[in-house]
Amino acid sequence: MPDVAVTTVSGAWALVAALLVGVFAVAAASFDGALAARSAGGGARAGARMPLAETARLMRQRRRTTVAADGPLWRTGGGGLLVVALLMVVVVPLGSWTLADLAVGIVWFNAMDVVVWAVVWLAGWGANSAYSLVGGYRFLAQALAYELPLMFALTAPAVAARSLRVADVVAAQHGLWFAVWMPVAFAVYCLSVVAFSVWGPFAPAAGSDIGGGVLAETSGVDRLLLLAGRYALLAAGAAFAVPLFLGGGAGPLLPAPVWVLVKTLLLLAAFVALRRRLPALRPDRFVEAGWLVLLPAVLLQVLVVSVIVVARS
Amino acid sequence: MGLSGRLAAYAVSGAHVLVVEVPGWWETRAAVERALTARGWRTALSPADADVIVVCGDPGEQLSAVVDRVWEQLPGPRARATALHTDEVGAALDETALALRDDQHQRRDAGDRAREPAGGADRGDMDHGDMDHGDMEMAPGGIPLASGGEDRDGLEMDVLHVPLGPVLPHWPAGLVLRCSLQGDVVTEAQVEVLGPAAPSPALSAPADERRAARRCDGAARLLAIAGWDDAAAAARRTRDVLLDGGDRDDAARQLDRLASRVTRSLTLRWMLRGLGCVDGAAVAARGLPESARGDVHDRLVAMLRQSRADLRGEATADEDRAAATRAALPTLVRGLDVAAARLIVASFDPDTVGVRREAVRA
Amino acid sequence: MFRVDSMARATYALAVSFVAVGAALLIVDLHYVGIITVLMMVMEMAIMAVYMIMFMGMNPALMPMDMVHDKRRAIGAAVVAFVVLAGGALLVPWPSRRGAPSGDTTAALGEAIMGSKMLVMMTISPVMVATIIAGIVLAAPRGRYDRLGDDLGRRPADDPQPGGVGR
Repeated sequence: MPDVAVTTVSGAWALVAALLVGVFAVAAASFDGALAARSAGGGARAGARMPLAETARLMRQRRRTTVAADGPLWRTGGGGLLVVALLMVVVVPLGSWTLADLAVGIVWFNAMDVVVWAVVWLAGWGANSAYSLVGGYRFLAQALAYELPLMFALTAPAVAARSLRVADVVAAQHGLWFAVWMPVAFAVYCLSVVAFSVWGPFAPAAGSDIGGGVLAETSGVDRLLLLAGRYALLAAGAAFAVPLFLGGGAGPLLPAPVWVLVKTLLLLAAFVALRRRLPALRPDRFVEAGWLVLLPAVLLQVLVVSVIVVARS
Repeated sequence: MGLSGRLAAYAVSGAHVLVVEVPGWWETRAAVERALTARGWRTALSPADADVIVVCGDPGEQLSAVVDRVWEQLPGPRARATALHTDEVGAALDETALALRDDQHQRRDAGDRAREPAGGADRGDMDHGDMDHGDMEMAPGGIPLASGGEDRDGLEMDVLHVPLGPVLPHWPAGLVLRCSLQGDVVTEAQVEVLGPAAPSPALSAPADERRAARRCDGAARLLAIAGWDDAAAAARRTRDVLLDGGDRDDAARQLDRLASRVTRSLTLRWMLRGLGCVDGAAVAARGLPESARGDVHDRLVAMLRQSRADLRGEATADEDRAAATRAALPTLVRGLDVAAARLIVASFDPDTVGVRREAVRA
Repeated sequence: MFRVDSMARATYALAVSFVAVGAALLIVDLHYVGIITVLMMVMEMAIMAVYMIMFMGMNPALMPMDMVHDKRRAIGAAVVAFVVLAGGALLVPWPSRRGAPSGDTTAALGEAIMGSKMLVMMTISPVMVATIIAGIVLAAPRGRYDRLGDDLGRRPADDPQPGGVGR
């Protein structure tokens, strides 16, 4: 299915994309701060200023290190989350503009979310601290549970569009958005975005029961990078859901790029609000559910989608 | 105000505070938490996260030593305060805010500190004397490598000795659980309580509301460890209403709402079911209170139910089984991972007041 | 040849070399294979971290390791090999390309490698997965009878730590 997807020049436009991710990350942090302040009984407006206060505090805070910490690995883990989030949005089309029109855009996204496995574990290992290491291994346990369902959830739109190219997937949603007739794939995708961002119900890797887990020994700029990376991953995941399940830039009145941003923002708000509703899902209980419930459900979903595609052609 | 001044103002407006509670001063700690919410400050999760340490109460020798060690781990800029009585909390926090803004003082403090972490010296193991054994110098950074042991599946795994120490978020005051961890599974544990220098003065609020508030606090801590910050915040709000001497009916309504929210949550039940099960025989054998029967979810519901009953004036004659509860902890957490261990300890919420020195191993 | 200070660094240095392989594949227009290589290898390194570092421990592997026997000669040999190979890559007159690659390079590669045996290859992989899982089940120290009792009737199962689905 031929589609117009103009590859814009990298360099200048990559900076714009990075800026957009940054803005969304700050918006998510702000929203989370407001919700937290409201649930604690304080004022939502004071809570919404949390990103500013936290950034100022962390920029002013000194960095620290531990005995025999593995410096290069630790700092790679710390800064890696932001880098991965930026690499993820490289394939998200804003209307008809995209930074990289890969023929295998969906696989690129999948590869990037697997790099998050390595990054979070490195952040846990590098600190040479028991709690930090426990956090890193908790993340790997959780990742083993959601990764295979995620891979199949990403396969479903590819099967329906008969292509791994993101622009083709957008074009195939002219009639009906994929989120409507592949709800299981969409739900699993959303769950996986929250999971690889170490957020909300999937935050045991950074949990308060182990003193912040992966965040336990970081301070100053390193901590800021990790925290910002989590929000950036949420934003990137929400952004990628738009072309994949929510019809890309389709919508009345407003131009396509604006619709992409609006849909990303709405999905991101939903992800952030999820933290308030659910307790933490511990990996030792979630692993069984991931393999025995989610994986068969997604496989069935892919089967249904394949049957429909074959029947339609 | 220059740029750095403005940065400092914003930074201090969102300071993170590490609250150290000495056994017997839990109301001061509750007051500190309440003051933090009112100012838009937050509780720190670890020393690396903290700008301020507030010690609630009068720590004994060992606990003081722990607090000093933790103070060493705070990155700058940092400040320290002690609060003995609920009234002192506001002033103490104001002082720390001023100290954080004081650039001169912070620079001097930073200049006085070491640049490299102090080797294996603060590990408490006795090995740092004999590091000069020629053949086996396996001690990167001065800390000897972990030795191995058999784990629950029969594999050989390294054993780490990790104290779930007195300064940990949502942890009973002064309690130390010295664990031997393999991976993150607790193979052995030992309980100790680090007490205050002198027993705390008797507190004033009416007994019913204070007991109900204490149970609310316990429930809030368990919910926080279970990862449900929203419900934990609701429980803390109810606790604050009760400690303040506020409207009893309002507090009762809030408790009912919280209890229904907790029982309706299927995810919470899924996560907490089957953990730390204690049946009737075990309760009798170990001398645990009746309310401890069941698993973590049952104990959470029992905490909320008892809190509600206290408000209604049905004082449950629950004698002090704190010592038996503390003694039972090592056996209850053995063979489980750190997350489960923390949930179990929080569900029992052992009281640590009035202990001189005590160590139980399993 | 690389010399690293610990098992974790060795694992991730290996990951970097695999990513370089993936990048090389991307350069020859095998986009799908290249990206999949990166994906699989990073995932494998992360899992290696679980098995080789967490379970195996291996104290010597967490210390600075030096696996080179004759340092000077080894370094010499490595440098010479690098110079020869790099010089060859840059200076050898490569022949010019005859013909053009087909539209779908991945499909062409698949055909070239597996050809008429494509169906056999596709059947083998689930069989391999099943074999691996069967091997683990056979090797596990606790079987069904330990968990569920002699008559396989005990519910809930007697596990050191209960799983999430209540099996």
